Amino acid sequence: MRIELESVRHVYAPGTPFEVEALRGVSLMIESDEVLGIVGGTGSGKSTLAQHLNLLLAPASGRILADGVDVQTIARSELRRRVGLVFQSPEAALFAPTVEEDVAFAPQRLELGVEETRRRVRETLELLGASHLAARPPHALSAGEKRRVAIAGVLAMAPEVLVLDEPTAGLDPATREDLLGVLRALRDGGTSVVMISHDLDEVAEVADRVCVLEKGEERAVGTPEEVFYTFPEASLTPATVRVVRPLRGSHPEVGRPVRFEETLAALKELVGGQV
Amino acid sequence: MIDGNNEGARRSGPSVVSCGDLAFSYPGSEGAALTGVSFEARAGEYVGVVGPNGGGKSTLLRLLNGLIKADTGSVSIGGLDPAAEPFEVRKRVGMLFQNPDNGLVAPFVEDDVAFGLENLGVGRAEMRERVRRAIRAVGLEGYERREPHTLSGGEKQRVALAGLLALDPEILLLDEPTSMLDAAGRREVLERLEELRGTRTILHVTHHLDELLSADHVLVLNAGELVADVFPKRLVSDAKLRRENRLALPTASRLAAGLRLDPAQLRTPEELAEAILRRVKLGVEAR
Amino acid sequence: MTAGRSLGQFYPVASPLHGLDARAKILGIAALAVGLFLVDSMAGLLLIAAAVVLLVAASRVPPGTFLGFLKPVAFIVALTVLFQIFFSREGETLLRWGFLQVHEGGISTGLFLALRILLLVSTAGLLTATTTPIALADGIENLLSPLKRLRFPAHELAMMITIALRFIPTLHEEAQKITRAQAARGADFSEGGPVKRARELLPVLIPLTIGAFQRADELAEAMESRGYRGGNGRTRYRELRFRARDALALVTAALVVVGGILV
Repeated sequence: MRIELESVRHVYAPGTPFEVEALRGVSLMIESDEVLGIVGGTGSGKSTLAQHLNLLLAPASGRILADGVDVQTIARSELRRRVGLVFQSPEAALFAPTVEEDVAFAPQRLELGVEETRRRVRETLELLGASHLAARPPHALSAGEKRRVAIAGVLAMAPEVLVLDEPTAGLDPATREDLLGVLRALRDGGTSVVMISHDLDEVAEVADRVCVLEKGEERAVGTPEEVFYTFPEASLTPATVRVVRPLRGSHPEVGRPVRFEETLAALKELVGGQV
Repeated sequence: MIDGNNEGARRSGPSVVSCGDLAFSYPGSEGAALTGVSFEARAGEYVGVVGPNGGGKSTLLRLLNGLIKADTGSVSIGGLDPAAEPFEVRKRVGMLFQNPDNGLVAPFVEDDVAFGLENLGVGRAEMRERVRRAIRAVGLEGYERREPHTLSGGEKQRVALAGLLALDPEILLLDEPTSMLDAAGRREVLERLEELRGTRTILHVTHHLDELLSADHVLVLNAGELVADVFPKRLVSDAKLRRENRLALPTASRLAAGLRLDPAQLRTPEELAEAILRRVKLGVEAR
Repeated sequence: MTAGRSLGQFYPVASPLHGLDARAKILGIAALAVGLFLVDSMAGLLLIAAAVVLLVAASRVPPGTFLGFLKPVAFIVALTVLFQIFFSREGETLLRWGFLQVHEGGISTGLFLALRILLLVSTAGLLTATTTPIALADGIENLLSPLKRLRFPAHELAMMITIALRFIPTLHEEAQKITRAQAARGADFSEGGPVKRARELLPVLIPLTIGAFQRADELAEAMESRGYRGGNGRTRYRELRFRARDALALVTAALVVVGGILV
C-alpha cells in the first residue's frame, strides 16, 4: 500500500488557550516495501503524524490517500486493519490473562474464525521470538518480552503497513537488534514499515528512506545518504556520518557511507595500509 | 570469577561501598537473583554496572539501599548495614530510578524536591535554602510551580535528581536513569551527572557503554553472578566479554576498534574523525 | 498538555481568597455548606447566594471558568426541578394536562432545591479553585491532627490526597493512550448498548489498573529510598499561617450562615 500525505495540518485543542499547531502542512509519500524512518526532536510532530496514518487523528486540513483513495472514505475498521499502529511503550496496553489471548484480540475483532486466529497468533509470536511465552500472563514478563508481545498483537491483523512509534526505546541492545531484524524481515516480506525514532544510528542502519520533521514540517525527505549528510547539527546526524563528514573535505574519495559496515569499509580503505 | 576478570578490584583508598558474597532470591521465583557477589567501591569513584536485563543489576542497587534484605552475605554502605539501619543509610545514599514519572510524589516541582528534607525533619528555613540550591544545581530555576505531568522526561529526571541533591548524599545509585528518555533528555541528565563526578561515589547501572568509558571500574553482572570487575578499556578490547554479556559498544567506539584506534581515548565521533585524519597524514608522510 | 480546566481544578491567580489559610477556607466552606442545608427560606438562600457571588468575584477566577464547574451537575439540577414541578402537589394548581399537574409549590420548591445544589457545587469549586492540592491536603491533615490521638490516620489521609491529586493528570493521559492503542487494534468504543460498551472498556480498565498498581510499587520504593517512614518527625515545606484575616473570614462565613437561617 502506498500512503500519500498532502499538506496535512493538525491543530490540538483549537480555539482554546492550549491550542497547538502540531503539523503545519506535511506532504510525504510512503512507498510499499520500504522501511521509512521518521526522525525529529520533541515537538516535531512525529507521534501526531503517526496517528494520522490510521486516522486515530484526523487532519484539520489536507488529505491522506491510501493507494489513491482518501482515507476518510474508507471504513475505520478496515483502515485500522490495513495500517497497524504500535504506540510508544505499547506494553502498557496488554490486558488479557495470557499472551496468546492478548495477541488474539485483534484477529477476534476481525471475526476471522478460530482456526485462522490461532494460526495468526502462532505465526506472529514465532516471528517476534515469543512463542515460548504463549501461555504466560503478560504483566509477569520482562520489558523486552512485553514489547514483543505488544508488537505481535498488532501484526496479528496482517497489516499492509506497520507504523511503530519508538519501537526500541528502553530496550537492551540485544532485544533491540532482534526487533530491527524483525522489521527488516517484514519489509522483505512486502509490508511497509514506518519507524519513528529518536535514535539516529538505528534509523541509519535500517531505513531505506528517511524523513526529518521539525516543528510540524518536513525538513528533508530522501535516502539516508541524501538526508543525513545535509544537516550541520550533530543532533540530526548519526554517528557514522559524524565520523566521515569531517574527512570529506580533504578526502572526498571516502564517499557518503551511512550504514556501519560500509562506513567501516570506507574508513579502512582510507587509512590504507595503516590498519 | 576468572582472575583476569577481576583487575578492576585492585585499587586503593578507603572503601565506601562493599559487598561480601551477597546472595538474594525474590520470594516465589525459581532462580536466585544474585549469588556470591563481592566488590568494593572506594570514595569518589565512578563505578559502572552493566549486563543483560534480569541479570541482577537493579536487585543489587536495591540491596545497597535497604529496599530489600540480602539472604546471605554482607553489605556495607557508608559504614552502615542497610538491612539494619535503612533510614540512616538513606540519609547518605540517593537513588535515581528508571521511570521518571513514578519517582515524583508531589503536585509541584518545589514540593517534590523538598520531600526528602521533610522526611528528615529539616527545619523550614534550611529547607527553603536547600531546595533553592538543588533546583539551581540541575538548571531548573523558574520551574518551581510546574506540575510534573507538564514536564518532559529529561526535566522530570532532573527534578528527581534535585530531590536527591537536596539531601547532599555521599553516594549516588543510578538505576538506568536515562533509558526511558529521548536523546535530548539523556543529554540533559548526563550533563548534570558529569558535574557530580569526583565529589561523590557513584554506581551507575546503564546499557550505554559510552557513559562508562571514563569510569574507574565496571562491574559486569550476568544471571546473578559478578562475572567481571574490570577497567573500562577491557570492555572495548574484549569482544568475547561483550558477546557473553550482551553488551554493545556505541557506533563510534566500534568503528575505532575496527580501525585499531583506541576507543577509550575517543569520546565522540568527531574525535575519531580527527584521529583518522592524523593517521592518514602520518601514512602519507611515511611514504 | 492539560486537558482543560475541569471540576474545580486549581486556578493560579492572585486574589484575597487565594491568600487565605487553607484551614480557614475549609472550615468556612464547610460552614456555608452546612448552612445551605439548615436554611429553609428562599430569602435565606438568596442571602447565601449573594455571599457566594461576592466570593466568586473576590477569587478572580473568570466567571466562565466557574460556570464550567457547574456543567456536570446541570443534568441533576434539571432533573430535580422537573421532578418537583410535575410531582409536587403543594399549593395552588397552575396547570393541568392529563394526569400531569403543576402546582405553585412545585415550582418554588424546585427552584429552591436547584439553587441549593448549584450553591453547594459553587462553594466546593471555590475551595478547590483557590487552594493548591498540597495546601488542601496540609489543611485537612492539620485540622484532623487532634484525631491522631484517637489513632485516626490524618497524615496518611493527607498523603493519599496529595499523591492522588498528583497522579490524576498522569493517569488521565495513560487512559487516553491505552484507549488509542486498543482502538488501533480494532476496539470500538462508540457502538452498542451500555452493556456492550462497558465490556469494550475492559481492555482499557484492566491495563490501566495493573499499570496503576505497578506505579504504586515504584512510587513506594522511591518514597522509601528518600527517607519516608510515615508522619512521625516530618516537617512541612509549606507554611500554614492562621492570621487575622483568616479569623475574619471565618467569622464572616458564620454570620452569613446565621443570617440565612434567621431570615
